[in-house]
Amino acid sequence: MSALLRVSGLEVVYGSVPAVAGVGLEIPAGEIRAILGANGAGKSSTIKAILGLLRPRAGAIEFEGRPIHGLPTHRIHQLGIAWVPEGRQLFSTLTVHENLEMGAFARGGAGLPAKLDEVFALFPRLRERRTQVAGSLSGGEQQMLAIARALMAEPKLLLMDEPSLGLAPKVVQRLFEQIQEINARGLSILMVEQNARQALRIAHYAYLLEVGRLAGEGPPAALAASERVQRVYLGG
Amino acid sequence: MDLFLQQVLNGLMIGSTYAVVALGFSLVFSVMRVVNMAHPEFFMAGAFGAYLTITYVSRNVVAVFAGGMAVALAVGLVVERIAIRPVRGRYVMIPFIATSGVGIALQYGAERLFGSDPVLIPPVVATVSYGWGPLSVTRMQLVTLGIAGALMGALRYYVRSTKWGRATRAVAERPDVAAAFGVDVDFVSRLTVGISALMAGAAGVAIGLLYTSAWAFMGLLFGLKSFVCMLVAGNRHIEGVMAIGLLLGVLEALVSGYLTSTLRDAVAFGVLVVVLVFKPKGLFGSYDV
Repeated sequence: MSALLRVSGLEVVYGSVPAVAGVGLEIPAGEIRAILGANGAGKSSTIKAILGLLRPRAGAIEFEGRPIHGLPTHRIHQLGIAWVPEGRQLFSTLTVHENLEMGAFARGGAGLPAKLDEVFALFPRLRERRTQVAGSLSGGEQQMLAIARALMAEPKLLLMDEPSLGLAPKVVQRLFEQIQEINARGLSILMVEQNARQALRIAHYAYLLEVGRLAGEGPPAALAASERVQRVYLGG
Repeated sequence: MDLFLQQVLNGLMIGSTYAVVALGFSLVFSVMRVVNMAHPEFFMAGAFGAYLTITYVSRNVVAVFAGGMAVALAVGLVVERIAIRPVRGRYVMIPFIATSGVGIALQYGAERLFGSDPVLIPPVVATVSYGWGPLSVTRMQLVTLGIAGALMGALRYYVRSTKWGRATRAVAERPDVAAAFGVDVDFVSRLTVGISALMAGAAGVAIGLLYTSAWAFMGLLFGLKSFVCMLVAGNRHIEGVMAIGLLLGVLEALVSGYLTSTLRDAVAFGVLVVVLVFKPKGLFGSYDV
């Protein structure tokens, strides 16, 4: 079976500091896959390289069998990859509604009302807040908006960078349920998380990143059972 | 009281052109974090474009504005290509110096082409005055105000209510995220410089016609004042820049009317110093560099 996204031998350098040193991973259509690892392990750099925001020094990134490294970021998005950035990174001076319209920028206006109804059904709070500027939302609402904005693009693949960061445990619980719901509708997801316990609960498969290299991979049950993951990520 | 109202009216005419030039300055800065020091030369190019159009093409006022704006647009796109796009996103001083260099080249290029004396721009709008009680305005003043008002309204509509205007605001805040949602940031950059050049060009035509002349260094003082408008207002809200542009025109007219016109140019910079001491980010807030 061919993967939706395949990354092989990826190397990313920040100045002269290697951030990612030879990472390979793939996302089969329909799955949630997670990249786990500590701060500075190269998780975000991997995501940014896929998006074309960082240029890989070596390696290949293929989407639906087609090489995309080297394409400009806006072209990569048009192929069907949407991003939920770390720290939300909303357009804070734009309203909730305008942020959602920006999410659908590449798709054009056709079918916009129907798509809006769909994301409002998933996140009813956003409908109440639609005329507010995004900067005035609470942390949990901002995360909803960041996800909703990405869904507006009707992507084939969703890249989520630390979705649970800075949220209350109760909100995190609900958020991960919603991510599962989104995935159940057929959207493939690659998630970067420091919250290994939650991520392993919903992922079909996970990669372990340590100082820019893959230190392990496997289905959640196998990873969670490994002594290393227990000790470092699950605090067991 | 009559003098006061007349000077307020005159000030609004000039102020509307300050506002139009300042808006382009501030739009380019807020979208690209580029202080485009060549921006005043778009204004100068507009005035010479009007002169060329009148000399070689047509004296029709619409054609004269279109010609001046087209010349300014052409100059703007060249400046974007050679001095902004290659250095956009770098430390703010780099595009500052690159555009300063191109600006100086444009000034001396214009001096070479048109000579160091001002060229005469013959009137293309009939010199008619309209009286309204004790007040009077010329038709050219009304044309200036009308065009500046239309441009400000159009810009406001574009930025607030169109798809590309929304994308422009998104790029201003987070270029990476905007790109990741399919916005071609290079295209937005070209579009934004193009719009700023068209607006400055229109102001150049208006001032060229009002003062019946164009000269190579006319952008210097005018551009500096527009720059001051942007700094005083802050670049976050285009309405703020519009208001300050109009206000500066009125202030200058009042100083000319009640004190002496030699002090007129000191006003803008005096106001700048006072505002920046108390509000370093401008009256209405600014984007960070």
